[in-house]
Amino acid sequence: MSEYNTILEKMQWVVNHPGQVVEDYLKERKRPVIGCVPEYCPEEIVYAAGMLPIGMWGARTTISQATSYFPAFACSLVQSDLELGLRGVYDLLSAVIIPSHCDHLKCFGQDWKVAVPQVRFIPLVHPNNRGLEAAVTYLAGEYQRIRRELEVVGRLPITEDELNNAIAVYNEHRRTMREFTAVVRDYPVTLNARVRHLVIKSGYFMDKAEHTALVRELIAALSAAPVEAWPGKKIVLTGIMAEPDEFLKLFTENGLAVVADDLAQESRQFRVDVPDGPEDALTRMARRWQNMSGCPLLIDPDKQRRFMLTELAKESGADGVVVCMMKFCEMEEFDYPFYKRTLAEAGIPLLHLELDVNSPSFESARTRIQSFAEMLG
Amino acid sequence: MSEKPPSAKKMLNQCITQHFIDAATAKAKGEPVGWATSIFPQEFCETMGLQMVYPENFAAIIAAKHGAQAILDIAEGEGYDVDICSYAKLGLGHIKEQIAEIPLPLPDFVCCCNNICNTVLKWFENIATELNIPLLLIDVPYNHNYEPTPHSIAYIRAQFDKIISQLEEITGRSFDQNRFEEVMRTSNRVSRAWKKAIDMGRTIPAPLNGFDSFNFMALIVEARGNEQTAVVFEKLVEELEEKAAQGESCYPEGEKYRFMWDGIACWPYVGQNMRSFKDKHINIVTSTFPDAWLLMYEPGNLDELARAYTMVGNNACMEFQADRRTQSLREFNVDGMLFHINRSCKVMDFMQYEQHRQVFKRTGIPIATFDGDQADPRNFSPAQFETRLEALTEMIDQRKDAKAKRGDA
Amino acid sequence: MITAGADIGSSSSKILILEDGEKILSAVVIPVGTGSSGPDRAFAQALDQAGLTRDKLGYIVATGYGRRHFEADRQFSEITCHARGIAWLMPEARTIIDIGGQDAKAIRIEPGGSVGSFIMNDKCAAGTGRFLDVMSRVLEVDVSELAALADESKQEAAISSTCTVFAESEVISQLAQAARREDVAAGVIRSVVRRCAGLVKRVGPEAPVVMTGGVSLNPLAVRFMQEELSIPVMAASRPQLTGALGAALLAARELSKLKAGAL
Repeated sequence: MSEYNTILEKMQWVVNHPGQVVEDYLKERKRPVIGCVPEYCPEEIVYAAGMLPIGMWGARTTISQATSYFPAFACSLVQSDLELGLRGVYDLLSAVIIPSHCDHLKCFGQDWKVAVPQVRFIPLVHPNNRGLEAAVTYLAGEYQRIRRELEVVGRLPITEDELNNAIAVYNEHRRTMREFTAVVRDYPVTLNARVRHLVIKSGYFMDKAEHTALVRELIAALSAAPVEAWPGKKIVLTGIMAEPDEFLKLFTENGLAVVADDLAQESRQFRVDVPDGPEDALTRMARRWQNMSGCPLLIDPDKQRRFMLTELAKESGADGVVVCMMKFCEMEEFDYPFYKRTLAEAGIPLLHLELDVNSPSFESARTRIQSFAEMLG
Repeated sequence: MSEKPPSAKKMLNQCITQHFIDAATAKAKGEPVGWATSIFPQEFCETMGLQMVYPENFAAIIAAKHGAQAILDIAEGEGYDVDICSYAKLGLGHIKEQIAEIPLPLPDFVCCCNNICNTVLKWFENIATELNIPLLLIDVPYNHNYEPTPHSIAYIRAQFDKIISQLEEITGRSFDQNRFEEVMRTSNRVSRAWKKAIDMGRTIPAPLNGFDSFNFMALIVEARGNEQTAVVFEKLVEELEEKAAQGESCYPEGEKYRFMWDGIACWPYVGQNMRSFKDKHINIVTSTFPDAWLLMYEPGNLDELARAYTMVGNNACMEFQADRRTQSLREFNVDGMLFHINRSCKVMDFMQYEQHRQVFKRTGIPIATFDGDQADPRNFSPAQFETRLEALTEMIDQRKDAKAKRGDA
Repeated sequence: MITAGADIGSSSSKILILEDGEKILSAVVIPVGTGSSGPDRAFAQALDQAGLTRDKLGYIVATGYGRRHFEADRQFSEITCHARGIAWLMPEARTIIDIGGQDAKAIRIEPGGSVGSFIMNDKCAAGTGRFLDVMSRVLEVDVSELAALADESKQEAAISSTCTVFAESEVISQLAQAARREDVAAGVIRSVVRRCAGLVKRVGPEAPVVMTGGVSLNPLAVRFMQEELSIPVMAASRPQLTGALGAALLAARELSKLKAGAL
């Protein structure tokens, strides 16, 4: 399995050294790097511009400067991203794209303008009335505006061909990641919670085509090995994200295998492809937003997420669901009472955990995860 | 001999009460009653003759009457996090169990416009799912720059069409374009009267007590397209102009400090706050959010309607908000700014710190903050409030003294 | 078959020694917790009281905050242990409310003592014993006397803040304005109970409800909880020991399994 280890090492390296990744890219490719703030960014446009999109999903850091912008009850994603921005950690980026899914992000974008003026702010506002054709037109308009901005940043036009190619690359990536998350179920020992997350997360710090190739190699290397039995229990994770490693290890420690996820940082990114069709690239990308579902940021008067989550738990053979509730995330908090009910009706146990990217200690998570594992069996 | 006409305050209370009665009556008769967010384009529902109620108003009143805790308990018992906006929890708690003093009818449809925040999207999504009723959504994309983008306006306009067809389905009636323009004319009249009333705060001394403007705001939220509202506000303007002509302050002993209140009122403690202000002769001559209902447009012009609703304060960028605040501080001759760090309102709180730095830089007007909540009684400390207020008045006094010494007075 | 349960908390160490999963041979509580000499001292005392040496113990289970640092054969979470302990003491119990010094838990239990579901609060002092400790200091009583003081209340004072810092300020303010200490004491207890009741409602409490943990020693807290939940609530008979008892019972179970496996 040495091939497998090499791949994982590479992935671990990029995740641990995002700054170096940016520096190396700038030196080798001499094209800008663009920060993509959670949750949903049109990375394809960045890619089509010949630039590297890089994820900005927060970091474990002491919040000291960001307190002049945010009171204590802002989520740790925007707090840590702004903190790093204020410290100059993102200075090598040519721009950041900040969407406006929630009130935290709306304000974060505006604060960034003032707090980190040296890194250009590119706003993005997704439509919430997604059933309307007008929403597709609107979002294509937003994507067009972003394209124009990136053309200015990169000093090169972005052609329709380049956009179509980027879509193909990203769709291939999504397909590969879906395949990966299916393969995980057969190798719960090797692809434990931490490793599973690593494979997915590393994609945020790499050229997507390269990441696809690596993951394909990984799947091939694994598939040669016999399927692994799992003596413990199986869970589905739901929420915005499930990090860091110390937190994920708690699941393995307690005999819990992650057989599927409904996380914004993970599967929600690649469940749905950009559709084919005669429309132009940006319109097709806008249509993808319309086709997505099952995330609290995707307004839905039927709240399908609760059914999708229940189905996912059943289909993946999970014994329980663990919600990694991002502390202070109202968008996620509003969904909880509903899927709590749906899961209870289906007889699927649910564990509620509070997640803070900046948490100094995981004792409380440890106790809850252990209790849950003991409860399951 | 003719009776003395009722005061604007009396008329206000009559209107508010009548509004609730009308909604309850409509519900009892089996007519559809809707819930709407506070700055949803009321023109459409008013045109269709629908009874609308505003759960944010309901939450404010319940909180002021100290009835919020029990309903919050219901929502939190359901699994709604302590972190969530207290207005939303009061609305959702009420839907679960109607224990409130005010018998707010449950909705048959909900109208949501996110120009005030994105939290309402989830709140109303939840109501629609819980009660299995239609969600009428007007999604106004946040304006990151001074001007809304053209594709944003086009998108909003397209949603107007959808709303109209949804309302036609709900009522079984056709949308009357003439009535629509009439409603827009009335709304303009109401907005003009409202602007005149709140602008009376510029007078020195200001005849209108800021907390009273909060009370009158309930009417502009729930009945802006209604002619009676225009009558009430025009009466209010009359009263204020009379007082201003006499040089009367809202306090018999006169005003000593002119404040801007930044944020929503702290409803559970509004009585206490008023008393603290009265003791120190502080008048709230202006505040950030009554402005939000100054919505004016050419009757029948849907682009202007879209623009008016998207450029509401909370939906505007950092620069726009700072400009607005600075302008108000100057025009209303404000001595000090009090910012309510409202635990329930992240969309305001997360830009406020920078807002205040910018505004202070431009005007040098001292600012103090205090922790509170728009409806949750658990997030306030009277001792902290008093301390902050005192500190602010002391800062103002110091500035005045320094100015006098310099001979700038 | 002799087993031991060790419940090592942040502020106290509790050891219980059990014979044949039935008879309590000794039980010790020492008011210092993990990281101190408490756990070892409690253990030595328990052995001493039972007239045993360590080698006579067939299996030891540790639980509580300090469970991983105590030498034991296995550790279980305090949720699992409290559920087991209460189910043994009061088999009809269906919901447990454990309000400790630093955290609060609500647990639904199945017949037999396995956990059906649970909710915890371990971040906010306002719904835990810590709140009572802070307020007792302001009222100048020992926390153990708080209930007796509050019993004399004629009109409960309203303490609305859930932030402990703000609430302390409220209490001081009320006392300064000549509110009766008895009334404020009652208000303080009500405040903690209400905060906890919110947690309990989220788990969906089923009667009978049993309160355990330090705060359950306060009879007024138990009565108030009953009022808040509108279903019968009673206090566990030996609230500080239910965790250690449950741990000892689980130790007996584990030992039996081992023996059965060895046969």
